[in-house]
Amino acid sequence: MDASASAISIDCKTLPSHWDFSCDFEVDYESEENAQIVYSALAVDKELQPDKVKRQMTVSNGKLSVHFEAVEARFLRASFSAFVDVLTLATKTIEEFGQGTEL
Amino acid sequence: MKKMIALGFEGSANKIGVGVVTLDGSILSNPRHTYVTPPGQGFLPRETAQHHLQHILPLIKSALKTAQITPNDIDCLCYTKGPGMGAPLQVATVVVRVLSQLWKKPIVAVNHCVAHIEMGRVVTGADDPVVLYVSGGNTQVIAYSEGRYRIFGETIDIAVGNCLDRFARVLTLSNDPNPGYNIEQLAKKGEKFIDLPYVVKGMDVSFSGILSYLEATAEEKLKNNECTPADLCYSLQETVFPMLVEITERAMAHCDKKDVLIVGGVGCNERLQEMMRIMCSERGGRLFATDDRYCIDNGAMIAYTGLLAYANGMSTLLEESTFTQRFRTDEVLAIWREKIESSNGLMEKSV
Repeated sequence: MDASASAISIDCKTLPSHWDFSCDFEVDYESEENAQIVYSALAVDKELQPDKVKRQMTVSNGKLSVHFEAVEARFLRASFSAFVDVLTLATKTIEEFGQGTEL
Repeated sequence: MKKMIALGFEGSANKIGVGVVTLDGSILSNPRHTYVTPPGQGFLPRETAQHHLQHILPLIKSALKTAQITPNDIDCLCYTKGPGMGAPLQVATVVVRVLSQLWKKPIVAVNHCVAHIEMGRVVTGADDPVVLYVSGGNTQVIAYSEGRYRIFGETIDIAVGNCLDRFARVLTLSNDPNPGYNIEQLAKKGEKFIDLPYVVKGMDVSFSGILSYLEATAEEKLKNNECTPADLCYSLQETVFPMLVEITERAMAHCDKKDVLIVGGVGCNERLQEMMRIMCSERGGRLFATDDRYCIDNGAMIAYTGLLAYANGMSTLLEESTFTQRFRTDEVLAIWREKIESSNGLMEKSV
C-alpha cells in the first residue's frame, strides 16, 4: 500500500496509561484528505466491548494516529487485528478507486 | 431523462456480491463470489470476512466494467445494513463509506430481507404476494400491509437452510455450489420415507429438533442399512417443505392473498417450488419463484432496493452508516410501496 500509505509505525507498550495494555500506531497517507476519509470510514464502528477495549483516532499532517487500550492482552490483540484488516481495506480502496485512478 | 443507477454491495453471509441496476429493475451487472468450505464444515465469521476482503475490490471493477459505467454515472451506493454476520457485513460497509467520500455519492442502508422481496417482485412481476423468504439464515412468511412488510410466521429457532446445510455436514456432502443443491439432487434418488418430527407451531415452524434427531440417528440408520443417504435427503425435504407450505397457506388465508413469491437461497429448490405451486393452484393463485441468479444473495438486490428508497428521498448519513447483526424485516418503512399504492388509489378514483 505504498501509494497512499507510505509509512506505518507501530509502538506497543505495556506501560499503564489508563488500562494495562495499550498500543499506538500511525499510518502516513501523505494526504490530509485520504487520512480523513479513512478516519471517517472507520470512526463509525465503535469498539464492541467499550468496557474492555478503547480506541482513539486522530488525523494530523496527513497521518492517521490510532491509540488502543485494553484491560487484557487478548482483547487488545483481537481488536487490533480486526481493525488493521479494515484499515488495510479502506486504504486499498483509496488506492484503487481514488483520484487519478483509471477504471 | 437519465436513468437512475445504483451500485449495491452484499456481504452478509458467505457470498460477496456487487451489482449495478437502474430504477426500472434492469440489472447491468451482478458479479459475486462465494466462500465455499470443505465438506463437513460450515463458514465462520472471521474466515468469511477474510474471503470478502480478498474479493470485494476486484468485484467492484468487474461490476463497473460489465455494466459499462464509470463512478460518475452512479446515483447512490447501497449496502446491506443487516441482518447477517457482523464481520462479513463490515467489509462491504467500510468500502461503501470510503467510496462515498471518494466519489461524493450518497449512501443508502438496505435491509437484506426486504431486498430479497423487492428483487423477487421486480424479476417475477408479482405485485402483492405472500412472500416465503427461506435461506441459510432466515425463514419468514411475509406480507405487505400498511407501509411495512409484516412477518406472519417464522422459525422459532434455526432457519430451514441452516437445517439443510448442517444436515449436509452429517452426510459430508459437498458445499459446492451449495449444500442445499446437493441435498436436492441426492433426494431425487430417495425411495424410502423415514418418519421425522413435523414441527409447526401455529404460524411458526421449528427446525432444530429435526436436525438434532437426524444428527443423533442418521449414522446408526446408515450403518444398519436401514436407509441410504438419498432416503434421508428425500425424507428431510418431504418433511420441512410441507411445513413451509402449511404456514404459507395459513398466511394467505389470513391476508386474503392468492399469489406466493418464494425468495432466498432455499427458494431455488425445485421440489419446494413444485409443492408450493400445487398449493397455489388449488387456491386459484400463482407461484412466483426465481432461479439461483436472483434467489441467492447478490449485489443487484441491494442496489435495486436501495435505489427504490433513494428515489423516494431516503438516504443514510456517513456517520449513521452502521451495520447490525439483527435487523427485522418489519423495522423498515417501505415508502416506495406506499407511494405506488396511493397513486393506484387515485387512479381508481379518477376512473
